Amino acid sequence: MSTKKTAETEEPRVGVYICHCGGNISDHVDVKKVAENLEKVPGVAVAHTNMFMCSDPGQELIQEDIKSGKINRVVVASCAPSLHETTFRGAIKRADMNPYLYEHANIREQVSWVHHGEAATAKATSLVTAAVAKAKELEALDPIKVDAARHATVIGGGIAGLRAALDLAQRGIEVALIEKSPFLGGQAANLERIVPTGERAADLIQDLAAKVMADSRIRVYTCSRIVKSEGYVGNFKITLKTQPPDSQADLEKLQEVAAKGEKPGRFVPFAGFLAVKVPTTASEQVLDSGAIVFATGFSTYTPRDGEFGYGQNPEVITLPQLIRFMSQEKSRGRSLTINGRTIRRVALVHCVGSRQIPGIHEPDADGGLNEYCSRTCCAATLQAASEIRERYPLTHVLEYYRDIRTYGRGQEEFYERASENHVMFLRYEPEDPPQVERLSKGNFPLRVTVKDTLTFGEALSADVDLVVLSVGMVPSRIADLVDMMKLPVGADRFLQEVHPKLRPVELANTGILLAGTCQAPMDISEACNAAAAAAAKATSLLSKGYVELDPFVAQVDLSRCKGNGACVAACTVDAIVMQTVEVDGQSVERAEVNPALCTGCGVCVAVCPENAIDVKGWTLEQYEAMVDAIVAD
Amino acid sequence: MEPSRELNFDALVIGGGIAGLQAALDLADQNFKVAIVEKDATIGGKMIRLSKVFPTLDCASCITTPKMAASAHHENISIFTYCDLTSLKRDGQEIKADITQMPRYVDADKCIGCRQCEYGCPVYVPNHEEGNFNFRKAIYIPFSNAIPQIALMDVENCSLCGKCAKVCPTGAVDYFQQPEDFVIRAKTAVLATGFKLTPMDQKPQYGGGKIQNLISSLDMERLLAPHGPYQRVIRPSDGKEPDSIAYVQCAGSRDKTLGVPYCSRVCCMYAIKQAMLLSGALPLADITIYYMDIRAFGKGYEQFFQNAKAMGIEFVKAKIAKIEQADNQYVRLRYEDQEGNGGVVEREHDLVVMSLGMVPDWNPAGVCDVACDTDAFIKSTIPSLAPTVTSIEGVFAAGVAIGPKDIVDTIAEAGAAAMEASKYLNALENPKAA
Ligand SMILES: Cc1cc2nc3c(=O)[nH]c(=O)nc-3n(C[C@H](O)[C@H](O)[C@H](O)COP(=O)(O)OP(=O)(O)OC[C@H]3O[C@@H](n4cnc5c(N)ncnc54)[C@H](O)[C@@H]3O)c2cc1C
Ligand code: SF4
Ligand code: SF4
Repeated sequence: MSTKKTAETEEPRVGVYICHCGGNISDHVDVKKVAENLEKVPGVAVAHTNMFMCSDPGQELIQEDIKSGKINRVVVASCAPSLHETTFRGAIKRADMNPYLYEHANIREQVSWVHHGEAATAKATSLVTAAVAKAKELEALDPIKVDAARHATVIGGGIAGLRAALDLAQRGIEVALIEKSPFLGGQAANLERIVPTGERAADLIQDLAAKVMADSRIRVYTCSRIVKSEGYVGNFKITLKTQPPDSQADLEKLQEVAAKGEKPGRFVPFAGFLAVKVPTTASEQVLDSGAIVFATGFSTYTPRDGEFGYGQNPEVITLPQLIRFMSQEKSRGRSLTINGRTIRRVALVHCVGSRQIPGIHEPDADGGLNEYCSRTCCAATLQAASEIRERYPLTHVLEYYRDIRTYGRGQEEFYERASENHVMFLRYEPEDPPQVERLSKGNFPLRVTVKDTLTFGEALSADVDLVVLSVGMVPSRIADLVDMMKLPVGADRFLQEVHPKLRPVELANTGILLAGTCQAPMDISEACNAAAAAAAKATSLLSKGYVELDPFVAQVDLSRCKGNGACVAACTVDAIVMQTVEVDGQSVERAEVNPALCTGCGVCVAVCPENAIDVKGWTLEQYEAMVDAIVAD
Repeated sequence: MEPSRELNFDALVIGGGIAGLQAALDLADQNFKVAIVEKDATIGGKMIRLSKVFPTLDCASCITTPKMAASAHHENISIFTYCDLTSLKRDGQEIKADITQMPRYVDADKCIGCRQCEYGCPVYVPNHEEGNFNFRKAIYIPFSNAIPQIALMDVENCSLCGKCAKVCPTGAVDYFQQPEDFVIRAKTAVLATGFKLTPMDQKPQYGGGKIQNLISSLDMERLLAPHGPYQRVIRPSDGKEPDSIAYVQCAGSRDKTLGVPYCSRVCCMYAIKQAMLLSGALPLADITIYYMDIRAFGKGYEQFFQNAKAMGIEFVKAKIAKIEQADNQYVRLRYEDQEGNGGVVEREHDLVVMSLGMVPDWNPAGVCDVACDTDAFIKSTIPSLAPTVTSIEGVFAAGVAIGPKDIVDTIAEAGAAAMEASKYLNALENPKAA
């Protein structure tokens, strides 16, 4: 790169670009004034403002100044660097300048959103001045290139995991599909017909799972868990432990399968697709993988003891339980019967374990609340309601809801169908949920009372034979993986993407992607879209055979290093080792950094007594220059 | 007219909204050559015209411009704006698109986007991009972050005074520019043609579009945009700062009589978002949302809704039966009370926003024989497992073109369509591997 040489030898000429952000910044910061102030700072060649620096005209402003030779360093003052740092680096690179000769000042989150008036303008001026001071000290850097394995590991064998594995394989990427249970299909295996298409969940799973099993590029590891994960994007080393199933649920399912005489390769209702023979001994292996796709899915909320009478009355069950009972119910009577009991009237309660509100709902054992809507339960409940009415005309259905959320294409029809089927709707406010009480005498075991807001808040009681709770989704228990891989988790306890719109299927951990309900509640079609989007990202990442990482990593100054070793002990990711080198004919120990492993956190810089280690792009000298600039006035 | 040229790409994306841009980027990053064909004079679709976006309240421009710029600068992406797609067909192993480049009356190769023509033009025309709240010129660049930054002339309103041609430093203005036909051939295509809002005037009970200070939700997006037409929120009829603002939910959706039986999925959330932004801009104003069900189902959306309630935004469960003009340009809403004591209630507001629904922007009839559903959106032939697959082999669809959805769901779906298209391309190249 020719520009690199010139930039380092030439006097720094900094271009400063200040963004209005449409008004987000300029409504509170006098951006013109900031530009005027900056023009006076030594080393600043130009200072411009623009309505949207990230827009095409904004980027062109920078590029023209670079091409005309006016500037050889760039400072952009705008929103948080997490949003647009890469946008501006890209623009600089296209203008043939080293993209690391660029510094960013955040005058939106750190200034205009928190300060107003003259104070805001003054603070913006100081932050930009500091950025200029650092920019003058910047060196040209090159990204770190590391080879990437054309192999991806998909964790979770539900619908999303199956979809992602197939998509990756069909783009020529080798896949390891890891599932903790003996079955593929995940939670969808507990469904009968899905809303709104009416397809059988069994057919969908059978279709996907059979394709996965037939694809030579996919290796399926059931009864397996990840016990160790090391490395970085392109080069993950994943240790896998396969062992005979031990969970009660899996053992019961396996017994049922054995009783039916089913062999691997087929879907078994309410269990899943038995992929391969169940292992009888434990084994471990290590996989080299370029990317990881999380598809660990959800589990259904378990109501607390006594919540709507659950656990205290056998007549209170959950929606998944109802679906299972109904699929086993073969009698052709005109009333629904469950365990031999005729159900004359059933109450369906929405939003159980979802849409919880602080101060109204009781937190769970971990102190958490499920404040989110589980998205899929409204449509599923309406479908169950209509199915009951259509199959068993003598069974009456009451639905207790907060809002009916049949948002999807073809879902509104289920709402309408339920009304046509004379399902009775009652609407409750979260602070007055339906009360379920046991009746000691009379004809019915339970009474449900609610303040119905559809009839001016009147208290309505109904005696019923069955109460069904539409339980929501909670993320699968993956605390071990979250700890091991240091994954970001949201307040809702689902895995947290980098940005819902800019990078919706990526985790902050480069090379780890998100597919399906481990991220948030979604239905099958939405989970498949998310899985395919994650597969597309993984494919772009791995298709070149190498990945480029930011060069902000530690660098040892061998003229100063005395082999003291404090850095090796301090490094949390084992990125530094001691190497024996020859110095003046003597063998000595010196620190050496593995740039691919280094996260640039800087703990080593803090502990080195010799000042012999620094993080590139964030050196002590550069920090000092910034601090000096801020305290100068 | 004979097509002037024929161009070849791996993938053709129809529509340059967020769905089309994301699909193009995901394909281009996998090293496929992509063409985006957009009918508008700029890419960016509806998203670039929004104020801020739920649930993060990021400014829409800040999220859209980088995707627009990334597409415009990607070495594997070519963008064709202001184009009319006249035919899209499978032709043997390929997809063939007949396209007409509409005349801008400005030579795209010469225009440098300096806006001298715009400054020079003496004709003022209501600016449709800003809800007609302010004016633009008869020759103009659509808005400050439009891509490409090339002027276009609105011949309907041009007075032929010749000023623009005189001031243009590069001689780009060309009053005699003709439409140009060309052909794009590609191996696969993604349809990302998006939506338009249901019309304001379709319901006689809602005044048939004639009521003052009854505006569409997209107009309110412009009023709220940081760089919007007035830089603040005022009542369009007289410039009064509104004290009371109301939202009519499901104004064009969930209504069989309008032919829109489905839920449009975004209007509850955008109404809540706008209400929050309004309560920031006008802290003293009362804001009421009249709704049937609040559908806050996405990640973080329910929490957003609860925050809005906690901020004091009033939610009234009611289906608005009638909208009328009241005295002093107020808007009167009539509905049946459900939560109080029953009976018919009337309330007046300064400004009322119709939370309009979504209908497809593109009707493929006569252009492309892709199958559509009874709701007029493009039909998905594998709706559960591969929602982006359409009835034509090698043609996929994403975003609102294949059913109402918000930006987050649109972006995921665009990634999925890109995945399907890339698998299709891969299978063509390596027939054995598929
Ligand atoms: C008032 C309002 C507020 C909203 N607020 C939010 C929000 O805060 N958060 C959120 O997540 N979502 C919001 N949405 C929803 C959001 O706008 C959509 O999810 C998103 O814009 C859909 O993108 P798209 O690319 O599918 O469609 P579009 O943006 O409509 O893009 C389609 C593109 O295709 C072009 N096109 C159409 N037909 C053709 C053709 N035949 N040939 C060539 N080009 C064609 C169009 O010109 C357009 O550029 C809001 C919607 C509205 C109406
Ligand atoms: S989908 Fe319906 S039942 Fe489920 S949590 Fe949301 S509102 Fe409640
Ligand atoms: S999203 Fe809300 S306002 Fe829009 S159609 Fe659905 S229920 Fe009605």
